[in-house]
Amino acid sequence: MTLSNHESIDIIGARLVDPNSGIDGISNLYVREGRLYHQKPSSEPGQRIISGDELIVLPGFLDLRTHCRVPGDSKAETITSLTEAAAKGGFTSILTMPDTNPHCDNPATIRYIQDRVNQDSKIRVYISGALTIQSKGESMSPLGSLKDVGVVAVTDCPFTPKNNQIFLNALKYADMFGLVIIDFPQDSYLSRNTHAHESFLSLKMGLSGSPRLAEELAVQRSILISKHLDIPIHLSSISSKGSVKLIKEAKGAGIKISADVSAHHLLLDHKIIEDYQTNAKIAPPLREETDRMELIFAVQQGTIDSCNSSHQPYAEHHKNVEFDLAPAGAIGLETAALTFIESIQGKDPFKLLAEKMSYNPHKILRLNPPSLKDNCAANFTVIKQDNPWIYKKENSFSQSFNTPLDKYKFKHKIILTYSEKGIAYIDKP
Amino acid sequence: MISWTRKSLLTIEELKPDEISLILDTADSIKSISDKTDPIFSSLKGKRIINLFMEPSTRTRVAFEVAAKSLGADIISITGEASSLTKGETLKDTAMNVQALGADAIIIRHSSPGSPLFLSKMVEVPIINAGDGAHEHPSQALLDIYTLREKLGDLKNKKITILGDILFSRVARSNLWGLTKLGAKVTLAGPTTLVPADFKLLGATVTHDTQTALKDADAVMLLRIQHERQSASHFPSLSEYANVFGLGPLSLEWMKEKAIILHPGPLNRGVEIDSALADSSRSVILEQVSNGIAVRMAIMHLCISKCLDKPL
Repeated sequence: MTLSNHESIDIIGARLVDPNSGIDGISNLYVREGRLYHQKPSSEPGQRIISGDELIVLPGFLDLRTHCRVPGDSKAETITSLTEAAAKGGFTSILTMPDTNPHCDNPATIRYIQDRVNQDSKIRVYISGALTIQSKGESMSPLGSLKDVGVVAVTDCPFTPKNNQIFLNALKYADMFGLVIIDFPQDSYLSRNTHAHESFLSLKMGLSGSPRLAEELAVQRSILISKHLDIPIHLSSISSKGSVKLIKEAKGAGIKISADVSAHHLLLDHKIIEDYQTNAKIAPPLREETDRMELIFAVQQGTIDSCNSSHQPYAEHHKNVEFDLAPAGAIGLETAALTFIESIQGKDPFKLLAEKMSYNPHKILRLNPPSLKDNCAANFTVIKQDNPWIYKKENSFSQSFNTPLDKYKFKHKIILTYSEKGIAYIDKP
Repeated sequence: MISWTRKSLLTIEELKPDEISLILDTADSIKSISDKTDPIFSSLKGKRIINLFMEPSTRTRVAFEVAAKSLGADIISITGEASSLTKGETLKDTAMNVQALGADAIIIRHSSPGSPLFLSKMVEVPIINAGDGAHEHPSQALLDIYTLREKLGDLKNKKITILGDILFSRVARSNLWGLTKLGAKVTLAGPTTLVPADFKLLGATVTHDTQTALKDADAVMLLRIQHERQSASHFPSLSEYANVFGLGPLSLEWMKEKAIILHPGPLNRGVEIDSALADSSRSVILEQVSNGIAVRMAIMHLCISKCLDKPL
């Protein structure tokens, strides 16, 4: 079965923003058989025509942190619900994390996911393999075999190996196959059994807290190892202002470090957990307003390269429990790009959005970024500005609804996502 | 005069000073009547109260049972081991079933911080927090404050030292909220690993020197070293703790002559307090326990009877 839908589309008078080609201006765009044209290829009109100067067309987004739950927890998410949610959020590609059940530490599990994706997905799904078996940090996964079946990156997200020798050797070994290395930087001991950012608030609430130091120690470890091995490491989901400083210094010294942040961390701070709201319990934890401001600044200045959704679906019965018993994680695919826009100060966040959610994530995964150039493969997202809507369970595509953004009113709306398989999402007003 | 409008007692943090005083004054009335006669209170007659204790407890559970029965209520205690929680039932389902069985109020003790608030969103009936993880233990703090007020009078500007495992202590947090709301000066003391400096933001003085902590105090409240809550080692050994931070004969020399000693129990004799000192005339530990009944009667009367004009 194929889910391709290469409907012809005319987009009239929209603003095109494409960091790949440098295009930024009002233009028409014609989609025919999966390709983009700036001039109308024939006198025949498109099957679908959308127009308006409030439209922004951006190259399709790529998410660098999607926890897919397939196989293992079909109550939380299926490939259909996952990829439909991603498409609604403007993503034409996602990178899945290895924490499935069975774990993505063997070729069979990878092949199973690929089969499901081929059947059920309208977008591209890249799969990351586990760096170590079961992501326990004790022995290396068969990284060469994982590469053979199509894994593009390796990570133990949402963990990182405790043992430095295993971490070091696994990175050396993974690099031999050209696999992209993603580290989720959290010191296992300092973050173990913690439920919030360590602060006055966690102290008051009686919750054990994860200090910024838990992240910063691991960030510094990755920086030193990257320097030592001279191999690139991508740091996932930075949350601490101290980490930002370390990454900035490392980049300044020419170390091959890149980093991303989750959209939630750009919009929210830890005060949202004050009434023990488990949907705001995420990993790494939401931190303080000063961290949030530093993260936004780091995105604007380029210290942080990209923005992820940190999509971690959980069925309602897993999250609607006592705070310390609830797993950490929130869904984010449908809201990440719009959350990014809401968080970034300034009048024109779209160029930055295209850079942080399309161009840079593709570069980090060593893929060709999509472009809006004439006669390119069509891979884009259309946002309608000043079209407010309220995010709620009834209009969510994800099978889970563990979000801290329930009933959040977004200013803009994604109205069309066009992937390599054609129309992946179209807004039905 | 302030009137009581709360259905539940979840935290001391949320109480206004007048509300704390109202509970203490109500407890005072109950105690003074009880001291003179052998009264029969009936404000909770016909009410069915469930004591949902998911963590071990002797004093608190029994004190709530005695208090409820003294107000004429029927009370049924369910403990963690004897409940369907051991069969995988969630707290939400247990509580909703308890409500369906006709409970008029639920008293909850649970290891998860925020669990009473969680329950209050799930069920309609009043919830009384009998201790939630390291968060709060309102009834304990109220009986501590009641005892302090009884012994020291007005607590404004009185110096109260709380010594021990503050980090993991719900008793410390609730007392800190309550005492500062009533104008007392609270010092928190103990090892650096168990007394985070951030407590200063709640209005406490923080010290790690036992002598400094004890010398001006009008009362010293000791806290139990809680082995069950310490996920990592926060001090080398119980004997070292006893040597450096335990209250022993030497400590008496540093303390004011009339300073009293409190402990919420259970005691680790020989660790946080010398055994003889726990039994000395300075100690008001057993009075705390007795006062706990009057204070818990006051809490239940205010939250559950719904008819405050009704005689006790």
